[in-house]
Amino acid sequence: MTGIVFDIKEFAVHDGPGPRVTVFLKGCPLRCKWCHNPEGHSSEIELFWKKEKCTGCGLCRQDIEHELCKQLGRCWHHCASGALSISGQKWEAEALVERLLSYAPILNDCGGGITLSGGEPLFQPEFALEVLKRLTTVHRAIETSGYADETVFLRMLEVVDFVIMDIKLADSDVHRSYTGVRNEEILDNFARLKASHKPHLIRVPLIPQITDTEENLSAIARIVGDSPVELLEYNQLTPTKYAMLQKEFPLGEIAQPSKVDLSIFQNAKLLKL
Amino acid sequence: MLEELRSYILKKKHHAFRSPSGIDFAAEFAEKRLNPRARVAERFVRICEMEQPLLMPQERIVLTRTVTDPNAIFIKEEGEDRIDLPCIYTKEEWLQVKEKHFIHEAGWLSNVIPDYSLILEKGLLFFRKNADEYSCKMIDALIDLTDRYAMEAENQGKMDVVETLKKVPRYGATSFQEALQMIRIVNFAAWLEGNYHVTLGRFDVYCGPYLEKDLATGVLREEEALELLCDFFMALNKDTDLYYSIQRGDNGQSLTLGGVDAKGHPQFNMLSRLCLLASKELKVIDPKINIRVDKNTPVEVYELGSELTAVGLGFPQYTNDDTVIAGLLEKGYELEDARNYAIAACWEIIIPVVGTDIINVGALSFAKVIDRAFHEYLKKANSFEEFLKYVDLIIMEETEKILARIQNIWVIPSPFYGMFFPFEDVSKGGKYNNLGVHGTGIATAADSLAAIKKYVFEEKSISAEAYIEAVDADFVGYESLLAKLRYDSPKMGNDDDFVDDLAAHLMSSFADALEGKRSSRGGQIRAGTGSAMYYLWHPEEIGASPDGRRKGEGLGTNYSPSLYARCNGPFSIVKSFCKPELKRIINGGPLTLEFLSSMFENPEGIEKLALLVRTYIKLGGHQLQLNTVNRETLRDAQKHPERYPQLVVRIWGWSAYFVELDKRFQDHVIARTEYAL
Repeated sequence: MTGIVFDIKEFAVHDGPGPRVTVFLKGCPLRCKWCHNPEGHSSEIELFWKKEKCTGCGLCRQDIEHELCKQLGRCWHHCASGALSISGQKWEAEALVERLLSYAPILNDCGGGITLSGGEPLFQPEFALEVLKRLTTVHRAIETSGYADETVFLRMLEVVDFVIMDIKLADSDVHRSYTGVRNEEILDNFARLKASHKPHLIRVPLIPQITDTEENLSAIARIVGDSPVELLEYNQLTPTKYAMLQKEFPLGEIAQPSKVDLSIFQNAKLLKL
Repeated sequence: MLEELRSYILKKKHHAFRSPSGIDFAAEFAEKRLNPRARVAERFVRICEMEQPLLMPQERIVLTRTVTDPNAIFIKEEGEDRIDLPCIYTKEEWLQVKEKHFIHEAGWLSNVIPDYSLILEKGLLFFRKNADEYSCKMIDALIDLTDRYAMEAENQGKMDVVETLKKVPRYGATSFQEALQMIRIVNFAAWLEGNYHVTLGRFDVYCGPYLEKDLATGVLREEEALELLCDFFMALNKDTDLYYSIQRGDNGQSLTLGGVDAKGHPQFNMLSRLCLLASKELKVIDPKINIRVDKNTPVEVYELGSELTAVGLGFPQYTNDDTVIAGLLEKGYELEDARNYAIAACWEIIIPVVGTDIINVGALSFAKVIDRAFHEYLKKANSFEEFLKYVDLIIMEETEKILARIQNIWVIPSPFYGMFFPFEDVSKGGKYNNLGVHGTGIATAADSLAAIKKYVFEEKSISAEAYIEAVDADFVGYESLLAKLRYDSPKMGNDDDFVDDLAAHLMSSFADALEGKRSSRGGQIRAGTGSAMYYLWHPEEIGASPDGRRKGEGLGTNYSPSLYARCNGPFSIVKSFCKPELKRIINGGPLTLEFLSSMFENPEGIEKLALLVRTYIKLGGHQLQLNTVNRETLRDAQKHPERYPQLVVRIWGWSAYFVELDKRFQDHVIARTEYAL
């Protein structure tokens, strides 16, 4: 079984208990307008282009031999300036597991583990579940939007030790207008997560004037109850990644962040990124 | 804490009290044909006499240089270097000395650690009893100067300073404040005598008991102790622009914390903890902090260290007792001495009191070794194994060339500093007289070998002739090959045995080449992984290299991945760099990791960094340096230096104010940030 991965990040410090190795699976059913990982949207392999490094030599357009490069229309193998690279790599589940388990001694010694993230890891459900199932000797976490079929979500809960799940917007209509999907399925999955008693963490991205309003945060606080929450400050570098994929940043200008009152939550802290 | 004093020193207000000596000592001494000891003593005494007491606001640990000589020059091998002390030799005399002797760097005693325990216990009058006329004169001049400080302190009503100076430096210290003042006086005098890389050794071990006694008897509360310590740390920043160094900051004022005692028991104590706090509080570049750790060091020590790393000064640096002590034993150090090692200057491993090793006498450029093998032997070699044999031969040849230069070493005597070592004349050597040679550019070399092995001998996708042509053309016209070499070939730092085994081979071959060699002082030769200035000098000796490094591109600092290698991350880097047999390479030189400063915005980043450091130590790493960088800030600081007077960056083993560095150092720091983790 194969899946598409766009990054494996060693020593991730915000993706679960202890230092972690985080695997980013490519492809996501949501299109959050503030998304800081636009390379995670499409399930296809894409080209990354760093404009400031490009010398304009044009070699990437000549003598394209590789099958993948033909599809992309450019050959990154010719790019000596480091401007072109590809985002996305096909992995056999077995090979990925082998690579990830090579970290097990270090991760176990540090109290860390492996985290599957994305994109939306459950958007490649069979691949994600297969990898998680085989990672038996190391702590496993998942970072999910919660947007997944009930059966997939429940199967996932069987094979992870820790769940990090987003609740972005409490109102379903507003949720749809900013992420492209309604949130009922997400909230249902949250209820399943809570019922499972699996250790978890709820993440709320603080997007100025969109998710960081008092109304939205109070509503989320009511939904999550005593679950631990991390409020994520917005990362100002996000738009530069869109440029590398030659995409428009859908949110345009970002408004001034609101002052957030942590005390409306039972158990929340602020995370600066 | 001590904000007024800190700002006074950082704003260089004390510079207003400086004036030149105006004396041409060298001409005078040459005319009188004075012997070396006499010259050193005479200059010291006369400058002490000219020194004016200067007390700064809030300051309680006193002594500041006011006599300088901004026009003095010091003669090096090539060209001349400025120092801020008048010379004791004329240029002609010094060139004559250099004809007869190997002179290491500035020629003075450096990187050695005096017997601070004994100094603190006994005071200078104790040493005076057995001193010769020159040493006696110097002690007397120094005591006269501290007496004048006491008078000035009395005028200003700083009575605790007066009381302290009644005790030290004449007699032993009885309190923490006296101990700090004593160390400052000896440190001040050691620099003024002419020595450099005057380093502080195992500060927590020899000074800790004075702190603990004062805390136990209620003489000091912890906050008061911390304030005194901050005062002492600031004292180490007062004169640094006057010290002999390549760039300001490279002055070797390091102190070492933790480690074990002679029996192997852990030594991290209350003072060790306070030093980390004081440094975090002050955010100044001196003293550089080193922590000795081992596989059993509790995670709390790493957490305290990581809190300091997060401040962005580029220290603490960690050194692994498990690896270093084992390596020292193999080089013939006795167990008790090996357990007592300290870090001098940047990363130099030295035994306090008894070690007079000269640690940085030369460096083997691994990149040049490969360059030679590539050009001289690649076409001849029938197999990679054969090619590797040539590489080993060149390593042997090049190390022999380095060692052949080092005959008849002479060090300028130190009638003052030398008193605190249990030897007749420490400038002639002590108990351990080994030399150290570093190997630079290991990643560039290992990556090159891997590419040669893979493409020439295994895949046979490129001929030796074509490869040499491409490298000699600096890859112009060979862009696809360049792209493959840079971005799609095995790189050291990715936990890939294909290339890591070659790095391990190079390191062993280097250690083998030094094995059994003797220095002209009878010592052994230690292999190391420090790059110092060589990371800028060595690339100038060669063109492009077979790993895809283009002509003029730098080498990694110390022991680190190539500058443009795309590495998987810190776990892979740490695993790769622990594969060579590091106990054979204990001359110093850390694995250097750069982290984006955003990593430390949250406390959990700091806690998790502590665990990563512990992993490196448990895997048997030898030394680790962690830098925090922010490229945008550095770029902006190049454009608007006036806005960043206190921005600190780490260079190769020392920290510096970014805006005071030459541009080529600044550029290298910025290039490094590109690959931050």
